[in-house]
Amino acid sequence: MSEDKNVKMEESADLNEGRREFLKYVCTSSAAALVVAPESSGAVVEAANSADADVTVAEFFQGHFVLMSDEEKKQAIARLEKRYTAKYAKKTTVSDVAAPDGVLFGYALDMSKCIGCRRCVHACVEENNQSREGSVIQWIQVMKIPKGNISFSADELEKGYPEKSKFGDYGVQVGGNAYHPAGLSTEGAQSYYQDETVPDKDFFYLPVQCQQCEKPPCVKACPVRATFRDHAGVVLIDYNWCIGCRMCQLACPYQARRFNWGEPNLPAEDMNPKTHYFGNRPRMRGVMEKCTFCVQRTREGRSPACLEACPVGARKFGNLLDPESDVRKVLATKRVFRFKEEFGTYPKFFYYIG
Amino acid sequence: MTDKENSRRSFFGKVAAAVGVVAAAGYAKTLISGAESSTAGVGEKYANDATQQEKALMGNRLVIMTDAEKTQRLDELLNCHYKELS
Repeated sequence: MSEDKNVKMEESADLNEGRREFLKYVCTSSAAALVVAPESSGAVVEAANSADADVTVAEFFQGHFVLMSDEEKKQAIARLEKRYTAKYAKKTTVSDVAAPDGVLFGYALDMSKCIGCRRCVHACVEENNQSREGSVIQWIQVMKIPKGNISFSADELEKGYPEKSKFGDYGVQVGGNAYHPAGLSTEGAQSYYQDETVPDKDFFYLPVQCQQCEKPPCVKACPVRATFRDHAGVVLIDYNWCIGCRMCQLACPYQARRFNWGEPNLPAEDMNPKTHYFGNRPRMRGVMEKCTFCVQRTREGRSPACLEACPVGARKFGNLLDPESDVRKVLATKRVFRFKEEFGTYPKFFYYIG
Repeated sequence: MTDKENSRRSFFGKVAAAVGVVAAAGYAKTLISGAESSTAGVGEKYANDATQQEKALMGNRLVIMTDAEKTQRLDELLNCHYKELS
């Protein structure tokens, strides 16, 4: 009996020793992994020490902002403000002001006035906290187009439609601009001109940004509805809900969306602390971003930063529902172009010649 | 009577240790090479996005609209807007 007991105790001792050895191996290999991968261990330590360690987890589990209750929205905003204030060492506000009612925002740009100075681009970068050197993101791209590319006869613009006859008002189009292209071709255009002085008299300048389509293909392409159109007609993104699949980028005919391939490079001293949840708040790695018509400004009745920065007044912004707005007046009185009409996206960004 | 060196338990212990070491090495390699490749190619990827936009906009035509087309376009935009609100 006592022998049996002794054998059992020996076996139990073996078992304990085996388990102990196994645990030792596991601990040693885990420690080795952390030593070999200093970046990961550093990140873990940094996350644990940083002030926002807890809010990051809360953010990870938060839902789509549009579907949140008022209380959840408040909490989400508070988390972001705390995190940005700590990260950029300046008091940062994140607004969630809703889009105004009775408004459909539209934008118009006078190609004959634009001098290609790119001040709109720089103002946009500063206002909207876009990533700087090394990982440059710019929501506006200015194209330089040879003036020879424009071809239409203004006198014949309204001509060339089938005229009524005793046989009816159908038939083929003749005359007018029917036999020669009416408009401006972007053939031979370049985006990365490095001219010392602008404008070059032989060129047009065409700034391109999100066209805020009324029927946006990017919204249809998003598998998680992170991008959506608000009731003022502006296409927005919930950066926290975006999964970074880039389907919207593929769907956009204007390629106006930009992806954060890495952690954005936004120096604390350049950070604009007045932000909006759907607008210019600092983005993170792996999410999409684009022009929002400066939602943080326009929802408060101000003009977009690009418009304010334009030294020649080439940009007009306003409410398409208001016949007295600048954009409606442009549509009523100027020669307006349609761009990539074939996609049927109904952009609310119009190019015109004054 | 168990031979401690050749027991099944010690064999599994060695296997588990070997798997642990290989997994840790693989994990470390992924972290290191992943960090290297993500920093090296990032600049190119940003530039590539901008180039893609340039390509997408090249060879297109801005077509001038007649008065009728402008009116039609505005009507469609407003109709679409009001339909969505209703």
